[in-house]
Amino acid sequence: MDPVRASLPVPVPLPTPTVVAALLESCAQRIREVTQTVPRLLAFTLITLGTLLTKAGHARGVMYPLLTQQLFRTGARLVPMICLLGLMLGLVVVGQSIALLQKYGAANLTGILLVTVVIRELSPLIAALTVLARVGTASVVELGTARSQGEVEALESIGVDPIHYLVVPRVIAFTVSVMALAVYLVLTTLLGGYVFAFTRGLPLTFTQYLGHVAGSLVWLDFPLLALKTGLFGALIGMVICYQGLAQPIRLEEVGAATTRTVTLCGIGCLLIDAVFVPLYLVL
Amino acid sequence: MGSPPILEMNSVEIADSRLSGHGSVRGVEWSVAAGECWVVAGVQGSGVSAFLETAAGLRPATSGMLQLFGSPVMALHGDTVSKIRERVGFLFSGSGRLFGSLTAIENITLPLRYHCGLSMEAAVEEVRPLMEWLELQSVAGAAPSRLGRGMRLRVALARALALRPKLLVLDDPVAGLDSGQIRWWRSIVTSLSTGVPWLNGLPATVIVGTEVLRPFLSVGHRFALIDRGAFKLLGDSGGVLALAEEPVREVLGEAF
Repeated sequence: MDPVRASLPVPVPLPTPTVVAALLESCAQRIREVTQTVPRLLAFTLITLGTLLTKAGHARGVMYPLLTQQLFRTGARLVPMICLLGLMLGLVVVGQSIALLQKYGAANLTGILLVTVVIRELSPLIAALTVLARVGTASVVELGTARSQGEVEALESIGVDPIHYLVVPRVIAFTVSVMALAVYLVLTTLLGGYVFAFTRGLPLTFTQYLGHVAGSLVWLDFPLLALKTGLFGALIGMVICYQGLAQPIRLEEVGAATTRTVTLCGIGCLLIDAVFVPLYLVL
Repeated sequence: MGSPPILEMNSVEIADSRLSGHGSVRGVEWSVAAGECWVVAGVQGSGVSAFLETAAGLRPATSGMLQLFGSPVMALHGDTVSKIRERVGFLFSGSGRLFGSLTAIENITLPLRYHCGLSMEAAVEEVRPLMEWLELQSVAGAAPSRLGRGMRLRVALARALALRPKLLVLDDPVAGLDSGQIRWWRSIVTSLSTGVPWLNGLPATVIVGTEVLRPFLSVGHRFALIDRGAFKLLGDSGGVLALAEEPVREVLGEAF
């Protein structure tokens, strides 16, 4: 080969019209999938809500242990991990922020920064995504496998409502767990932040630190935090059950259903988060 | 005047899968009286499983009238369907579709705990005679994945019988089993259709689906065949043996 030509950079081929058309078609396909999934997911949610209300207290001997088991699996078992995550987040993010604010004489902004970043935004989202990653994906595989092996039909054959038996405990557990874990995350992140400030010898006592946070909180922060985390948890629970159970699935499709679940939950949580932004701005 | 039939089908069309909506068995005219033992045969892929699931009210018929215990199944919803299903025991083909997250005893007692509100201890005590009859005491605490196929089917049968159903539908219980296990199933079906203590000594109405008729020739009271989308009544065992048609020969199988 000509040494001059060999030394020239290889030209990057421009996307051909076929590639562009394929990309557009792929995007259109994704949009079609989402527009088809959302109404079905809403219908599935309404059915679940109906079952939850009409069958409340039914078959307690079976349902309560099932709910306890799901709560342990989705919530209690994740407490150590969430606490560790909170402490690390506090050390890395909050501690540095406090140090910077002190350095530039903006210590009076510590409270509002912590409330906005830690309590209103970071903790709910991280708690939801941790639950999704640790338990949600495993649950889709579990439910998808059960569905593909005909366990839903087996439940129907003994007169057990699959929505009541499989969906309701999971949705309750995910909702309660994300709410509770977000609280643990808030507390440990704040603690981690103070540990960082303390070890750096910043002139801030623990009482002052808590005073900054408490002074920047408004009473609406509590119900809004509960509502937001509850919606995150309920959304994750519903999407998991919808992807795993609501439609006939083959064993080889379980992996793809898990990926769809993570994508849908991620987008859904961010959309819910966006809805809360205007509310927080007026507080 | 005799008692009304347990199961009645008039011009029923059965879908070949839950999604397709296409009929695989058409124009079914069938009536099952209380205490009868029916054997419905068909080669693999003929639609016997879909037919039995429809007969048990587990999947809707594409068209026609299906009545279980005198109630039209297609007109029923929600809790009423659930009540009907409590009176029908269904054994799925393959490995019985046990719940993989529950042990054998938890699988068997689930219907009792869910519908009758029994505690685990009370339910275990309740099903003890059933477990003894089906020789399942030794596997009570085992996970389904640790059981062989024959034992899984027995556990699934116990689960199907837990609510003392009036109608029992068994979908191909002997496929792939050895001769000893086939004999066990034959004796169990015989006992069920003559009356067992678990069902208060009353004969159960039994429908057995199978790919091979011969093991059930001495057990069934009436026989039927699903062949190329048609449901054909074959009569009693004598009638079956007298038939020389190729489809009947095909499902009759080797001498047992």
